Amino acid sequence: MKRNQTHKVILSAFALAAAVGAPNAAPAQDGKQPYSTMAPVEQYLMDRDAEIALARSAAPEAISRDASVMVLTRHGYETAVQGTNGWVCWVGRGWMAMFDHPEFWNPKVRAADCVNPPAARSVLPYAYKRTELLLAGHSKLEVIAAMKEAIEKRELPALEQGTVSYMMSKGSYLTDSGDHNAPHLMFFQTDKNDGRWGANLANSPVLAVNYWYISADLYPQLKSFPAMSVFLILVGQWSDGTPADKHRE
Amino acid sequence: MTRQQLTRKQIHNILLSAFVCAAALCAANPAGAQSAKQSYSTMAPLEEYLMDRNAEIALARSAAPESISRDAEVLVLGRHGFETAVKGKNGFVCIVERGWTAAADPDFWNAKVRVPICDNAAAARSYLLRSMKTTELVLAGRTKAQVEESVAAAVKKKELPPMEPGAMCYMMSKQGYGGDSAPHWPSHVMFFYSKMDAASWGANLPGSPVMAVNDDELTEFAIGVQRWSDGTENR
Repeated sequence: MKRNQTHKVILSAFALAAAVGAPNAAPAQDGKQPYSTMAPVEQYLMDRDAEIALARSAAPEAISRDASVMVLTRHGYETAVQGTNGWVCWVGRGWMAMFDHPEFWNPKVRAADCVNPPAARSVLPYAYKRTELLLAGHSKLEVIAAMKEAIEKRELPALEQGTVSYMMSKGSYLTDSGDHNAPHLMFFQTDKNDGRWGANLANSPVLAVNYWYISADLYPQLKSFPAMSVFLILVGQWSDGTPADKHRE
Repeated sequence: MTRQQLTRKQIHNILLSAFVCAAALCAANPAGAQSAKQSYSTMAPLEEYLMDRNAEIALARSAAPESISRDAEVLVLGRHGFETAVKGKNGFVCIVERGWTAAADPDFWNAKVRVPICDNAAAARSYLLRSMKTTELVLAGRTKAQVEESVAAAVKKKELPPMEPGAMCYMMSKQGYGGDSAPHWPSHVMFFYSKMDAASWGANLPGSPVMAVNDDELTEFAIGVQRWSDGTENR
């Protein structure tokens, strides 16, 4: 895989589950976006044991074996396994991408993710809230309004320092594009300036996207949300220790 | 052994064994560890640590992709410390570290050590100041123990600042020399925190791509990357 392709995949890729993403999905031949509305909820659900295993596969076993595991139900995420190390593993769905991402409603997306304690405390509440509202049938505009209100009332926390997320599962499906997957780490920062880490520049190993939107044109309300950037670094191996290149072959 | 000595040794060991090999980034020379017989017990003549100015600027810039380093400030080593050779405009600062800040304990005085590094603005305002302070003390003729004691005291008295949020650096140069036991460091990026638990990033666990060293005042996380700064593959 060429470097540009990899970047493209990852950019659209894991925006898709907790943050990162770029408008990469090709429109259908009739010109319509292939995922313009929510699919039947069953298409987003998984067998519980399979979801636990997939969630755990996001990080090396040394981390995930003691992590809490969340699984998706018809009404939101619930704890399936209570952990002991403060980490939380879960499987993100398409709607964890930016609100204007073309694969927002893609029911094939399964983004296994293990987050560290600061991210579990300060990033996941946003994911849970968004999921509950969407599964309750609210529109994107309603979800955005409800989340804004929750932020203003401080029902949703401020981002903590030192957040990190492992997305190293071989079994994830992050996007329809490219190889659909690539192992990487993500970091959340309250920063609008990609240049701070030298992200998205030629030959930089660091990529960055806005957590909330690709472009604020469609949902300008998101511009008033707390700034959150997601930085991403590709790593050379899957969570089981095998080199990433072998998976691609 | 002081904590600072321990940290330097840990960095060396981690980058050599865990980071380099477990992360399949084997750019280091494993045989080097066995062949390092020369000892560097005292400082060499100052001239041996100095470089041609243009060569040092080029080497410093090689730490990061050109898209970052071309607009970075560049510092070069003078007889009394690092001094500005090129003014930058993107907040990054690139330098070539010497053995006393960048190598394992046995290579502290090794005059051949050259480790390029580009710090982002947050690291330049925090992490880099420690390197510069160490260098000034070394060049003023202090012993290794005196240097380490002075830096530790300066940190404690807050004369040297804590790590800023988002402090990180690029160490992606194909060139440079890390010391006799780790001649060629693998391409990686690092993140700096004050007093962060290494376990909170899952560092140093089997299969983790994150390595960390920790002491009372500084936590350094290293993550291997797949390319050198020039875009060529790191394997």
